[in-house]
Amino acid sequence: MTEVFWFSEQPYGHVTDEDLAPYESGRMHFPNTHFDPEKAHVLYSNYHDQYALADEVGFDGIMSNEHHSSYWCMKPSVNVDAAVIAKVTKQVKIAMLGNVIALNDPVKMAEEIAMLDCISGGRIISGFVRGTAVETLHAGISPTENRDRFEEAHDLIVKCWTTPGPFRWEGRYFPHRMVNPWVVPIQKPHPAVWFPGTGSPESVIWAAKRMYPYMNLGSLLDLTKQLKDIYFETAREEGYEPGPEHFGYLIRCLVADTDERAQEVGRTFLWTEGHRQRGPVEFNDPPGYQSREALRIKMSRPTIGTGTIGRRMSYEELQDAHNIIVGSPETVINKLRYIKQTLDPGYMLIYGNEGNMAHEDVMRSVELLGTRVIPALKED
Amino acid sequence: MTMAHSAQRSTIAVGGVAVEMFSGGSGPPLLFLHGAGGNAGWQPYHEELAQSYTVYVPSQPGFNGTERPDWVYTITDVCHFNQALVETLGLEQYVLMGSSMGGWVAAEMAAMCRCNLKALILVGAAGIKPDKGEIAEIFMVSAQTRSNQRFYDISQVPNGEQYQRELTAEEQLVAHSNQEMASRLCWRPYLHNPSLPYYLGRVNTPTLLVWGRQDAIIPVECGEMFQQALPNARLEVIDHCGHSPALEKPGEFLAAVNGFLAGV
Repeated sequence: MTEVFWFSEQPYGHVTDEDLAPYESGRMHFPNTHFDPEKAHVLYSNYHDQYALADEVGFDGIMSNEHHSSYWCMKPSVNVDAAVIAKVTKQVKIAMLGNVIALNDPVKMAEEIAMLDCISGGRIISGFVRGTAVETLHAGISPTENRDRFEEAHDLIVKCWTTPGPFRWEGRYFPHRMVNPWVVPIQKPHPAVWFPGTGSPESVIWAAKRMYPYMNLGSLLDLTKQLKDIYFETAREEGYEPGPEHFGYLIRCLVADTDERAQEVGRTFLWTEGHRQRGPVEFNDPPGYQSREALRIKMSRPTIGTGTIGRRMSYEELQDAHNIIVGSPETVINKLRYIKQTLDPGYMLIYGNEGNMAHEDVMRSVELLGTRVIPALKED
Repeated sequence: MTMAHSAQRSTIAVGGVAVEMFSGGSGPPLLFLHGAGGNAGWQPYHEELAQSYTVYVPSQPGFNGTERPDWVYTITDVCHFNQALVETLGLEQYVLMGSSMGGWVAAEMAAMCRCNLKALILVGAAGIKPDKGEIAEIFMVSAQTRSNQRFYDISQVPNGEQYQRELTAEEQLVAHSNQEMASRLCWRPYLHNPSLPYYLGRVNTPTLLVWGRQDAIIPVECGEMFQQALPNARLEVIDHCGHSPALEKPGEFLAAVNGFLAGV
C-alpha cells in the first residue's frame, strides 16, 4: 500500500527571473530586501489552509522541510512548520525532511522533535538531512565538518530519545556533560527516521545500513531506480529484506478539472528554475562537503549523475519523463500508476505547488488528489 | 611547477607522516611555509634565497603531496606538526618565512617556541583580524574571483600567464584537495586567531613584515597590526603590488628580505 503525502516548499512566489538575474547566485547573493513580510503573512496563511485541507480530504501525511537563504522556501525551521501542521491537522502523519542536524545543537533538536511528537499525539516522522551546502555556509560552518557533525548529531539525538538521563556526551562537536531532556517522544523507541537524497549513492547506503527509509527527492526515474537498487543491495548485505516501506519518491504533481487547465497552471513548476541552484560551485559543492568516499562511489558507478540539478529539461520533456505530472484526475491517476509500477514506492510525496500558483488552483488540486486520485491508487 | 637543478624533491617522515619536501642551496637553514592555495613548489625566489641559505619548502599537512594526519584540524595542530618537522630536519637557529596562511602558521610557531629562531619573515600574513578593513572572502567565491584577488596587476608577474591558464585534471584535484584543507583550518575564526596579537608581545625575534600595498586579500592594515604587536619588527610595504609580493615584485621582495637578513 502506497501512502501519499502532501508537500509544499512554501515559496515566496513574488520573485521573478528579472529580480534574480543581476546576482551572482540565486541564494547567498540575492538580497532579502526582496522579501516583504506582509506578503509572506498572506502566503503562510494560504499554505496552512492547504495543510488543513490535505488532512480533511484523505492524505496519509504531510511532509515538510527547511532551507536557508532561499526565496523558494520560506521555511528556515522545519520544527516551526511541523508545530503548525500538528495544530491545523488531526490525522496526517507529519514527515519532517528534515532537520539539518549538523548545524544545530542536537540536544535541542531531540527536545523539539520529542515535543512535536507529544503535541501531535505520535504523528512525527523525523527526517535528518545534511542540507544543501548553502545551509552549511549560511550557518557559518566549514563544509568540511558537515558529515562528521551530522554523524555525531544523529547519534546524540537517538541517544537522547532512547537512554534515560542524565548522561554525559563528550563528542568532538557537541560536548555535553549533563544531558537530561525532560521531554521524550511518545513513539517508542523513537519516531521513525527518514533520510532523503537526490543523487548521492552514499546517502542511500547510509540510510540502508540503518534501515531508515530513503526518500528520493525527484530525481529522474532511471537514476532513482539505480539508487533504489543500491538501497536494496545494501540492505541484503546488512541481512534484512527491504520492501516498499523503505523507499519513497517525491513527484511534482498538480491536478485540475481538465487537462488543459492543469497544463496551464502546472507550467509554474518551472518558476525561476534557472536561478535556484545557480551560483559558483563553491556554493553548491564546496571542497570538503562531499566525502572522498562519495566521490569514489560516484566514480565507480559512472551512470549516476547528480539528479535533476544541472540538467535543464523543458516542461514537455519533464512530463514525458514522469518528473512533472499534471492533468485531470484520470490523467494523473494513470501517470502515478506508471510510477508505482516502475518504482513501487511505499511513499509518494506530492510536491504540489510552486511559485505564484493561485491559492484556489492549489486548493482544488489538493481536493481532487484527496477525493479522486488517492482512492484510485489505494484500490490498486 | 618550476624546479631549478639545485633543488630536489624528497619525502621525509615526520611522526609517521610522509612529508613532501622541496629543498636546495647551502648555508644556514631557512624554512618556507606556503599559503592556503598550497605548495607551488620550488620557485625562482627560493632559488635566489638558496644562494645563501639551505631552503626547505615542505607541503603542509593535508596539502599537495603530504597526507593529513587524523589529528590535524586547526592551525595550532599544524604548528605542532611543524615543530616536529623542524626537529626532524635538525634545524638550528633557522629563519622562518611564511606567506599568507603560512605567515599565520609561522607567527604562531614563533609564539610557541622562539628560542631556536634566528629571524622571522611574514609575507602578506593571515592571523590578525583587521580593525577597519576585512580579510577578503576566499572560500565562498568563484575561482575567477579568487584569481582576480591575488595580484594587483598580473601583467607585471613574470610568467603571469601560468596563473590564468586552465588547470589539468590532476592539478584540479590537487587544488580541490588544498582548498578542502584550507577550509578545515581557516573557516572559523576566519583566517585569524583573536589571541595571536597577545601571544606576539613576547616574540622579540628580529622580524620582517612584507606586504603589497594593494593586497586585496589580507589588507596592509594587518601588516601594521603585526608591527604593533611584535616588539622587534619592521614593515616593508611594496607599492603597486598585491597579495603575493614574491611573485609580483620579486626584485623588491628579495631586496627587502636580503637587506633584512644581512642585518640579523
